Amino acid sequence: MELVGTVVGIVIKSLIFIIGMFLGAAYLTLLERKFAGHVQQRPGPLHVGPHGLLQPIADALKVLTKEDLVPNSVDRVLFYLASLMAFVPAIMILAVVPFGEPFTIFGLEIKPYITDLNVAVLLALAFGSLSIYGVIFAGWASNSKYPMIGGLRKAAVLIGYEVALGFALVGPIMMAGSFSLREIVEAQQNMWFIIPNILAFVVVIFSILAETGRTPFDVQEAEAELVGGYITEYTGMKFGLFPLAEWYIATFVLSAITVIMFFGGWNPPPLLGWLPIPAFVWFSVKVFLLFMFFLWVHWTLPRYRVDQITEIAWKVMLPLALANIFIVAIWIIIFG
Amino acid sequence: MELTGTAFWVFSSLAVLSAFGVVFFRNIVYAVLSLISTLIMVSGLFFTMGAELIGALQILIYAVAIVVFYVLVISTVPEFKGKAFQTKYMVISIPVGMLIFVELAIVSLFGAWKSNTGVFTPDVVKEVGNVKAVATMLFTKYLFPFEVASLILLVAMIGSIVIGRKEHVIDEEAEG
Repeated sequence: MELVGTVVGIVIKSLIFIIGMFLGAAYLTLLERKFAGHVQQRPGPLHVGPHGLLQPIADALKVLTKEDLVPNSVDRVLFYLASLMAFVPAIMILAVVPFGEPFTIFGLEIKPYITDLNVAVLLALAFGSLSIYGVIFAGWASNSKYPMIGGLRKAAVLIGYEVALGFALVGPIMMAGSFSLREIVEAQQNMWFIIPNILAFVVVIFSILAETGRTPFDVQEAEAELVGGYITEYTGMKFGLFPLAEWYIATFVLSAITVIMFFGGWNPPPLLGWLPIPAFVWFSVKVFLLFMFFLWVHWTLPRYRVDQITEIAWKVMLPLALANIFIVAIWIIIFG
Repeated sequence: MELTGTAFWVFSSLAVLSAFGVVFFRNIVYAVLSLISTLIMVSGLFFTMGAELIGALQILIYAVAIVVFYVLVISTVPEFKGKAFQTKYMVISIPVGMLIFVELAIVSLFGAWKSNTGVFTPDVVKEVGNVKAVATMLFTKYLFPFEVASLILLVAMIGSIVIGRKEHVIDEEAEG
């Protein structure tokens, strides 16, 4: 009986998180399109619903009802599997992201996270990098040269930035003395970890841009060189899942993790703790601001070449991350 | 307790199934895919045993960092070469496979009674957490082997850089 209770509880909670993320991601597309429109001095989606508010629903219907075209020479099993392999790990990161402290409603304690493992940071990193297989296998299964090149480029980029990202996150972990994301937030009540970890934050920004394939680093789908990169052969919802997973869900979830690691999670900003604003709102505002920062970078900067990207990863980002560990170690020795 | 038992059977049967896949798939990309699946299921087994740190590292290092390089290499191999089946390699692979099997069997048979004799009983691990337990052992009792292992890896890294380095890139099209 206890087993059934636990399983049902976790399933309901996961469903809430997943459906919430889906709806959120749908509206993040609208946000991005509006933002991109204004960056490029055009109105963006305008005609479906009031001021284009129903555009994501129209988009979803369109993508779902499109003809599902599968080229003859693709490897069918992997072709279908790849879109899921890009999508599922991105969602799985949600399992370890805490959205706030446990609170009580009607005598029922609700924990706004699925699990609070003490290795949550490592798991988030692991799931984040598992989604690379979706891209590589999509490239391989398409049996066509542009997707293949796109997949291999993505792999080359990700290998470099995974290492830098892993080392960069060591700084906050050292200061909190824990791998648990909730304990890391609790350790930041007095001062955010951005203070000595500024170098690590720079590295993390670059790594997230590279890992989610947003513009300065979107060599895997560089439309001027590779047609569409690894999604060239995809149609319909299988086509839609890749950007949904990478550009929206992964970016959003990784922004949440960055906020937790560097900007105090749901703690209010210094000197503003007296305001009657719930912790969840502070967290959402911070994640939203960081997400908008990524959009801003995406729609402003041109694309790097693939050799420049890997060069930055190994020659700049990795040394910066190591230097950060050194600085944080000295900081801990001096200030305790 | 019941949940752990169910999870153990699910993870271990899936791990064995995917391990069969690694051996019997003729398409090497499928074989690598089964390898990833096996490694993730083994990580799940670690989680059911309460070894979360090793479970997470298993996904992060084995299932991602190492297998990505396999995939990088394998996905550039032409399909017909991947499907080629040469019996001459079995002369070496069968004895080596048997050797590894015997070694693993000995370790698991004798290790089963050896476990839980150290300082870190399950209660202590639950108290201080996985990470602290591993770090305490790694940086006190096993510091020297740990450093030696990192030195060996450094040697391997420098060696591969030296082997892979080219004095200058020969552009064949430009020459001929």
